[in-house]
Amino acid sequence: MSAAATTHDHAHDHSHDDHAHGHHEQSFVWKYIFSTDHKTIGLQYGLTGLLFLLFGFFLMLLMRWSIAYPGVPVPAVEVIRHLPLIGDLFEQMFGRWLNADGSLNGELYNMLGAMHGTIMVFFGIVPLGFAAFGNFVMPLQIGTIDMAFPRLNMMSYWFFFISCVLMMYSFFVGTGPVQTGWTMYSPLASTTNIGVTSIWSHGHMWWLMAMVFNISASLLGSVNFIATIINLRTKGMAWMKMPFFCWAMFVTAFLLLLAFPPLEVAAILQLSDRVFGSSFYLPSGLMEGGKHLDISGGGSPLLYQHLFWFLAHPEVYVLILPAFAILTDIIPCNARRPLWGYKSMVYSVLTLGFLSFLVWAHHMYLTGMGTMMSTYFQITTVLISVPSVVLLTCLMVSLWGGSIRFNTQMLFASAFLPMFGIGGLTGLPLAFSFIDLAMHDTYYVIGHFHYVVAPGTIFALFAGVYHWFPKFTGRFMSDKLGKLHFWPSLIGMNLVFAPMFIQGMAGFHRRWYDGGKYFENTSGMSHWSTTLTHKIGAFFGFNIPDNMLSLNIVMSIGAFILALGQVPFIINFWFSIKGGKKITNDNPWDATTMEWATPTPPPHGNFLFDPVAHRGPYEYSVPGHTTDFYPQWESEPGKPDLKALAEKAQAHH
Amino acid sequence: MADNIEAIQKSIKWYLIIGGILILASGATVWLSYVELPTHSLNILVGMILATIKATLVALIFMHLNHERSLIYKILLFTVVLVVVLFALFIFSHEDPLVFKGMYAPVEQQ
Amino acid sequence: MDIPYTVHARPDTGLYNAKIGIWLFLASEVMLFGGLFSAYIFLRVGADYPWPVHDLDVTLGFINTVVLIASSVTVVMAWAMLKLRKFGWYRINMAITVICAGLFMYNKSLEYRAKFAHYAVKLTDGTMLTGHLPHGYQVKFEGATEFNLSVPLKTSAVTADPIGYVLPFIEGTAPKFKTEGGQEITLDEASFKALSAEAVKKAAAANKGTASIKLIATAPIKFAVKPSEIFAYTDTTITFRDGTTATGKLTDDKMTIEVDGVDARGVVQSEKSLAFDHRYLGEAWQKAFVANRDHHITKFEKDYPTRDKTRSATLQKESLFFKLNSAEPPAEGAAHGNAHGAEAHAPAGGHGEAHAHHPTVVLDKKDFTFFSNFTPKLNTYYAIYFTLTGLHGLHVVAGALVLLYFLAFDGKRLRQDPEHLANRVEVGGLFWHFVDLVWIFLFPLLYLL
Repeated sequence: MSAAATTHDHAHDHSHDDHAHGHHEQSFVWKYIFSTDHKTIGLQYGLTGLLFLLFGFFLMLLMRWSIAYPGVPVPAVEVIRHLPLIGDLFEQMFGRWLNADGSLNGELYNMLGAMHGTIMVFFGIVPLGFAAFGNFVMPLQIGTIDMAFPRLNMMSYWFFFISCVLMMYSFFVGTGPVQTGWTMYSPLASTTNIGVTSIWSHGHMWWLMAMVFNISASLLGSVNFIATIINLRTKGMAWMKMPFFCWAMFVTAFLLLLAFPPLEVAAILQLSDRVFGSSFYLPSGLMEGGKHLDISGGGSPLLYQHLFWFLAHPEVYVLILPAFAILTDIIPCNARRPLWGYKSMVYSVLTLGFLSFLVWAHHMYLTGMGTMMSTYFQITTVLISVPSVVLLTCLMVSLWGGSIRFNTQMLFASAFLPMFGIGGLTGLPLAFSFIDLAMHDTYYVIGHFHYVVAPGTIFALFAGVYHWFPKFTGRFMSDKLGKLHFWPSLIGMNLVFAPMFIQGMAGFHRRWYDGGKYFENTSGMSHWSTTLTHKIGAFFGFNIPDNMLSLNIVMSIGAFILALGQVPFIINFWFSIKGGKKITNDNPWDATTMEWATPTPPPHGNFLFDPVAHRGPYEYSVPGHTTDFYPQWESEPGKPDLKALAEKAQAHH
Repeated sequence: MADNIEAIQKSIKWYLIIGGILILASGATVWLSYVELPTHSLNILVGMILATIKATLVALIFMHLNHERSLIYKILLFTVVLVVVLFALFIFSHEDPLVFKGMYAPVEQQ
Repeated sequence: MDIPYTVHARPDTGLYNAKIGIWLFLASEVMLFGGLFSAYIFLRVGADYPWPVHDLDVTLGFINTVVLIASSVTVVMAWAMLKLRKFGWYRINMAITVICAGLFMYNKSLEYRAKFAHYAVKLTDGTMLTGHLPHGYQVKFEGATEFNLSVPLKTSAVTADPIGYVLPFIEGTAPKFKTEGGQEITLDEASFKALSAEAVKKAAAANKGTASIKLIATAPIKFAVKPSEIFAYTDTTITFRDGTTATGKLTDDKMTIEVDGVDARGVVQSEKSLAFDHRYLGEAWQKAFVANRDHHITKFEKDYPTRDKTRSATLQKESLFFKLNSAEPPAEGAAHGNAHGAEAHAPAGGHGEAHAHHPTVVLDKKDFTFFSNFTPKLNTYYAIYFTLTGLHGLHVVAGALVLLYFLAFDGKRLRQDPEHLANRVEVGGLFWHFVDLVWIFLFPLLYLL
């Protein structure tokens, strides 16, 4: 069917290897651990990211338990404590903070909250979405043999790995991990637990150092991505013939490149406040525990927020753009229709990238930064919704008139569209400062951005895993298990996040570890949703109160369903590597982009022939063509570029 | 850089001249900083203008930005715009011209 | 199977990979320093104290500027020479560049060292005294016999560690300690471990979260410790950083400082500054201060008759930041020499003799609220100064190492593939010019304006 279907393993034919290790047979360490091959590095990022997603999810489950059942011991905590090894780890990381009866307290809740945010954003989604898929797929799609700087690529993974180790280590130090939210606002973050024996027993130190490494890794990675896309596109791969996937990765890399340095500055200055006692973020006259701190003052907490959000707003686009990137491959492929409005999507994503740098202070309406600032940021924030809507609309219209294959990745992809829509639309009111003043830090905000990143981005990432798994391994993931993964996930996600809007508008604050139990004026009111919950509970014989607290229970049940839903995925993922159905050719989804022209799994050097892009990336159901897809690399209908293949083969033998 | 030999030979002389100009300009910056202009802000302005000129010379001549590919200019333009945004907004957050002074402004005593 | 376009440019972009890479990296560096400079603007605009101007050593800064510019010229010359295949000149220019980097860092270290040895103390009325602490600042404590140590059973931020956090501050040698069981021990790593293990076992049996240990010293102990090395002290107790408390008697927490400057800009009536209290500098210095202040004000009025006195930061500094350059107050009527001294204090290394030129003052603890050497802790200016120059210094070191690598270890490439090496030198050079470019802004912002 495709050129690459004639699979010879060329991997070992390349005696002149470009890389640091010029061995014919690479040893295990060089091949899998210190590899410079973009595919291996992509897999390393992917596995690390998936593990962290799971870990971050586990933190969330603990939090949800505390919110739904404050003061009730965590289930099975005694059992976990007595397990060998895991028990010790659990005791060190969480157990030592639990109340005597095994229930959560505010201190642990704050740690969990801060680490959940940090891990999900910086250690879960970005590595998986941007680094893993970008590394694996992007060089294949532009038809090159590797990234522009392979050794830099390896270094960026190992910087990332160091940052993971440092971040995890913060669970084991004296104060435990940070408790001040993933935003790490000063002065609170700089002054909590000042009285420690050694600054190294403070989780904040480890958080900051981990972030410095993480940022450096991202910077190196993004330099590599951009240079690769600019300079290593294969013959015929003009900018406007490039798959949207690569465009989105290109813009994402730019966001990382230019937005991360200010965060690095923020982290360095905060580190300086902590280690050298400087006052970058500490205003004059700051007191703690009734005593003046031993600082000079004169700094500004607002400075931290500016530097932080200058990164952190582009960061949310770093989270969502890889999701769009993945979907623009999956939706046309499974709807058998070209991507609708490719050009407008490209221009939108470029606009989105630029505008995303100009909206950061809409996170700071409550800081009193000035009316002119907030006016300006309200305008840009409303503006940025335009390109986002264009992207979403194009994806939706791409479905129109298609003959859709509802395999697992398409289910996830099609669920993404409404879920992201909800997330995006609920964000619009927050763009206005007068609404934001009321909604700030309530569950409404939590619901909004979780709809964007959880059923949004994470669904797209799952879709990507199902889509490219055959390319990684040569085997399909099970469709049955996949559907068993999809439906509970969809239901669970909505049960967790939809009630947040109701609670948020009722005034529930995000940092209530007891879920609002002691704020009766807020939590005591009832609503049709709570009445419904109460009645359903009563039907099954449970006594669920008819007030806002009942929604906590709904959400926690949702989280539990979500957790159960991931079990089929984990089983599916690991068992399909060896036991999945084998693919019959190198292009199992009948896709058009170039990664499917390589042998499976792609060998070192990727292509067996010199790929040439003959046409655009989304040539599905072309009228008059024999098959319903027309790959980029085929010079004439149904035929691979045989001439190029022959030349390549000759050159090697 | 134009890669032919003559162009490089010619530019060597320029490198030395520019180096000299930069050192002289640095001397001028130091001297000007001790001159008491009407306001200190003016001192800062003059100093920054001099520094910008120096930086421009370094970027144009030493970093060969006087004849670089358009792609590099695009990247740098984007970056410079963002830096300017960063600076400008940081200043605005201190000097807010739209502070609402209407209704509750204290009435001045006659 | 080589990565394409490592040496020669791709035809349509006109660039080789590394050049795109370095420009992208520089773009992110622009954002890094852009963030730092905007922090500088933010801190300066919002500063609630007079922003230091001409406080650093301008001469040293200027020398460093010249050194960096020279190295910038030589690195671009090295590249040009390589392009012309004049390998000897390439090596010479490269070597000069690296030497310049070394010189730059050496000057930087002189500057930093002088700052570390220089102190400023903030008095309760807002006066800042600058000077040297000949003996450092230590709190003295004596007659300590009873020690209470607590060892939490779970990993905790504060855990008794007397070996690391109590014993080092004992003046003289540590005596033996008596445990609660009446046993007499020498406190060291092993004995404390045994002691705490036993206490932990006991506490676990009693279902307590913290094991406490009581130690009685066989002889009263004297402590001399910097306040930053302990948590807190009162007249009768001292709490060490490991949570250990001791009872005893505070004997001395006065600060002895050799004053070389009185900064009265934060005081409403500058001549009534606490620094001129009879216990401290006294009346004679006060007169000298007033004479100096009035001298500068008259001079300013004469030089700039139309300008507003209160708005000139320079005048504020010259008239109210009084430099003391002799051990005794100058004779009455003589205008005190207080010209544009960039550095108020004696240059580094000039200790001993230099100290004789400054009056010594012994400050009561209750009269000062804050003190620090000229490090990031002192104020936001020094914080941003150290951060900016420190990060810039790191870039200098990194850039120099890369260039040194090209010079010393890339000989094979020089002989076989000089075009590739020229590309590498160009890329390294671009980074080096960027470092120079940052310094071009740093120098006026921190040293001059």
